[in-house]
Amino acid sequence: MSPSDAVMRDPGTPQATMGRPSDYLHAQHTLRSWFFTTDHKRIALLYLASITVFFVFGAIAAGLIRLCLVVPNGQIFTNDTYNKIFTMHGVIMVWFFLIPSIPSTFGNFLLPLMIGAKDVAFPRLNLLSWYVFMTGALFTMATLVIGGVDTGWTFYAPFSTTYSNTYVIPALLGVIVVGFSSILTGLNFVVTVHMMRCPGMTWFRMPIFIWTLYATSLIFLLGTPVITLALILLVMERAFHIGVFDPRLGGDPVLFEHLFWFYSHPAVYIMVLPGMGVITELVAAFAQKRVFGYRFVAYASIGLASITFLVWGHHMFVNGQSQLASTVFSFLSFAVAVPSAVKVYNWTATIHKGNIRLDTPMLYAMGYIGLFVLGGLTGLFLATLAVDAHLHDTYFVVAHFHYIMVGGTMLAFLGGLHYWWPKFTGRMYPEAFGRVGAFLIFVGFNVTFFPQFILGYLGMPRRYHDYPPEFQLLNILSSAGSTILAVGYFFPMIYLTWSLWFGKRAPANPWQARGLEWTTSSPPPPHNFAVTPRVDFDPYDYAIKAREVG
Amino acid sequence: MSGAPSPAAYPLLLWPQAASQSAVHVDWLIFAFTAVTLLLTVPIFLAITYFALMYRSGRQVDRGHTSDRNVKIELSWMLIPFFLTLAFFAWGAQIFDVEKHAPANALEIQAIGRQWMWKFQHPGGQAEINDLHVPTGQPVLINMISQDVIHSLYLPAFRVQMETLPGRYTQLWFKAERPGQYRLYCSEYCGTDHSVMDGLLYVMSPSDYARWLSQAGSSQSLAALGKRLFSNYGCSGCHGAGATIRAPDLAGLYNRPVPIDGGGSVIADDTYIRDKILNPDNNLIAGYKQVMPSFKGVIPEDELMQLIAYIKTMETPS
Amino acid sequence: MAEPVGIVLAEHFSTVTQQRQAAKLGLWAWLITELLLFAGLFLCALIIRIQHPASVTLAATHLKFWIGAANTAVLICSSFTMSGAIVLSRIGWRAGMLRFMLATAGLGSLFLLLKGFEYYQDYVEHMVPFLSGPYVLAHDQASRLFVDVYFITTALHGVHLITGVSILLVLTWQASRPHFLARHQNRIEVYGLYWHFIDLIWMIVFPVLYVLNR
Repeated sequence: MSPSDAVMRDPGTPQATMGRPSDYLHAQHTLRSWFFTTDHKRIALLYLASITVFFVFGAIAAGLIRLCLVVPNGQIFTNDTYNKIFTMHGVIMVWFFLIPSIPSTFGNFLLPLMIGAKDVAFPRLNLLSWYVFMTGALFTMATLVIGGVDTGWTFYAPFSTTYSNTYVIPALLGVIVVGFSSILTGLNFVVTVHMMRCPGMTWFRMPIFIWTLYATSLIFLLGTPVITLALILLVMERAFHIGVFDPRLGGDPVLFEHLFWFYSHPAVYIMVLPGMGVITELVAAFAQKRVFGYRFVAYASIGLASITFLVWGHHMFVNGQSQLASTVFSFLSFAVAVPSAVKVYNWTATIHKGNIRLDTPMLYAMGYIGLFVLGGLTGLFLATLAVDAHLHDTYFVVAHFHYIMVGGTMLAFLGGLHYWWPKFTGRMYPEAFGRVGAFLIFVGFNVTFFPQFILGYLGMPRRYHDYPPEFQLLNILSSAGSTILAVGYFFPMIYLTWSLWFGKRAPANPWQARGLEWTTSSPPPPHNFAVTPRVDFDPYDYAIKAREVG
Repeated sequence: MSGAPSPAAYPLLLWPQAASQSAVHVDWLIFAFTAVTLLLTVPIFLAITYFALMYRSGRQVDRGHTSDRNVKIELSWMLIPFFLTLAFFAWGAQIFDVEKHAPANALEIQAIGRQWMWKFQHPGGQAEINDLHVPTGQPVLINMISQDVIHSLYLPAFRVQMETLPGRYTQLWFKAERPGQYRLYCSEYCGTDHSVMDGLLYVMSPSDYARWLSQAGSSQSLAALGKRLFSNYGCSGCHGAGATIRAPDLAGLYNRPVPIDGGGSVIADDTYIRDKILNPDNNLIAGYKQVMPSFKGVIPEDELMQLIAYIKTMETPS
Repeated sequence: MAEPVGIVLAEHFSTVTQQRQAAKLGLWAWLITELLLFAGLFLCALIIRIQHPASVTLAATHLKFWIGAANTAVLICSSFTMSGAIVLSRIGWRAGMLRFMLATAGLGSLFLLLKGFEYYQDYVEHMVPFLSGPYVLAHDQASRLFVDVYFITTALHGVHLITGVSILLVLTWQASRPHFLARHQNRIEVYGLYWHFIDLIWMIVFPVLYVLNR
């Protein structure tokens, strides 16, 4: 029974585009207009600024780790300090950088633009999501200052609940709060995709990036509550000794591992899926060609988000888990590799007979494909039971996930940042510096992390401050690589900032790419489109152009 | 000690030594998997590089007649690599299966992990801290537990590791073939000195091992030590011959099903026996009134292992 | 007596229908996350029951079944009153809607009072193992696992209920102002979803903790 709806336009908001045209960046200048904005584009930039700051802290921690590991029995820091450093590196990078990175920056900025909407479904909730993120993240960062946490980002019981003498509870509370930020973002995105598509924008006319954002948002909604509960129980255990994880009281520490990994495995797909979406956009734009097998790629995104919830036990092959459970999890982990492989083959087929330009974003995309494949396949090695019995908790695992997180997600983030930089800022970045930066990052990354595969197979366990002397050479090599990588990161930080004032002004579509975001000005006006788009064409409608050039 | 050099003697190691047949099998698996991986990926990398250069913008080359989907191709490149890689899943599962089932004649060594050291107890009562001596040619089963947080015993030379948990026994087994000195580590982060909770694994010929055992200074086997504890802690007062309290007979108990109150039964393995000593109110036994006191906080882990070793030797009277 | 009913169209939506549907879907998405949060606790309760059946049964005998049952009835009634408020909001009967909303808040508060009394009884009977002080089932270590999960689950539900009642009271105050129903009728509908969900969670908590283990 629906009532007769009286439609009223709230007369409160002035029309910002009356009179001279102005984009979202320059429409208002006050601090209030930034910190109380409900414009998804400004919120995206708020996130961009904050995650960059957190990244710097996480990267400093990484630098300190590699510095320590240059000598086998490090004298630079004590064991306890080292343990706090790697814990904070993990916590910051996972929760305050990687998980929000692409969804909260590119997702927030581009989702409404790509589907022809004026904003996300709940703009004020979007802003709240950023404040919640900042509250939780700053709270945890504060524990750094007052003394640190040394449990590892995985917070395993009973070490975290009973034996650690560091500020575990404050750190956990911060992470719990940040989880709500993820949930609110995921909720906003899901409703936006369902409800706010412009006329003619059917599901299969959406760019792949939207499909991957949608799949990621499903994981946000379904996975995050479980980690919230797991961490709440951890806080209860540490504060009140409730007993669920304490064998002396009849509880089981392995229960925590189950609750933790049930979220944390899908969490890595939160980090991976949006990156895949970005790469799809980059490959299509720089090959000037339709995505090969669009439907399979779209389904693969949803497939990944589904199967990812079934594989968490592959983190627990050697913790006394039953052989049957381990075998099932191993099999499912092989299955989850299939949708990822699909995407890689599809990207390759998209490049075939395209019209390729090797600008910086495309360099990052190609680097991504190589490194992600290596990372993914080493994941399959780890999914193999007998192999994991050797490689679990060694540097092989560290190398594997850094290939995915840095070689994968980070490269996708940087590639997307360069690709959409003209759209976000209205400026072009200097292309030559872009290519040098991409090259340095690629080389530095490989020199840092490839030796770690070998170290892991040799048997060097992870989270080790002291190590046997025969591992020193490879550790030195890895640390040397990290300095190249650090220099590489400085490049975009400097020239992108420089371009804000001195970069060439960008046209609406500097890459001649397809996609609704390129039909509006660079930067876009506050309400995205002067006229609501109507769509009657497929995504990546490049075919005509390719024929013209070829 | 055998003449093999210490692991630190190798300045640049690129492949770990394999000290067992099983380790060699795992290495073969890795080689083969790597080969298949390269087979599946190198063509992709070559293709991408080739296409990026061949179809570079500005080059006059045929770009026509491309389709945007091909269900047959897409299904094949989904399913063929999947089934190919499944062969490795099966191979890995098979080796894992062997790793999960120790032979019945395995030499059982007890291990306790605690912050931040390992204590090993050989059946003859010889104890060692952080280092472990084992013979070749004989399956060795390590039965282990943690005294505090989760640790993990990692023996890279055998390509195996298993976590030690507080409150529950876990096991790993191996059969060493190649004498030498290798490393052993704790591979589950456990706090301050996690990275110095390592030791040396000495694999020795059976005669060397026997000589080491006799020199290692032990007067009694684990089971004999356990027998003395059984008396000292008063267990024999109820479970021994001539006891006035009606307590379950422990002879032949080990690995047999025990009927419990409320129906069903439970297997009396190491974890069960340990739990019964510490929490006798768990798993109430059918047909008996529970009056056994708890020994929680009274009997330390290594003595629990000795008691269990003794209980295992208690035979059913003929 | 009937007022005009409608909603103000927010500027980023193109139609009112779109706005209503978005709000509903948004709240359903939130409720799914809440369900998963509690599901983890139900899982813990289930695991504890499987591992320590005797201890759980023993601990459950100390739960105040009749207070729990009364609370269940109270919440069911409150769902009815909330539904009543929604129906009345749709036809623009402001006074009646406000009465139903207050009744709902009242019933919710009654639940909290009964719950508080129940916690007090638990305290008096020394059934609060995580506080220092005697614990009546101290000889059965595993029983405290169940009791602790009972406290966490009911406390978490209680927090949601306190939040719910607070928002409801604010909403009632807002709805009492003129022109509310013409501009924000949607809020009553969407809030009603949340209230029913709080009720639904209790419908699972009560059997899982109180009933199953007797």
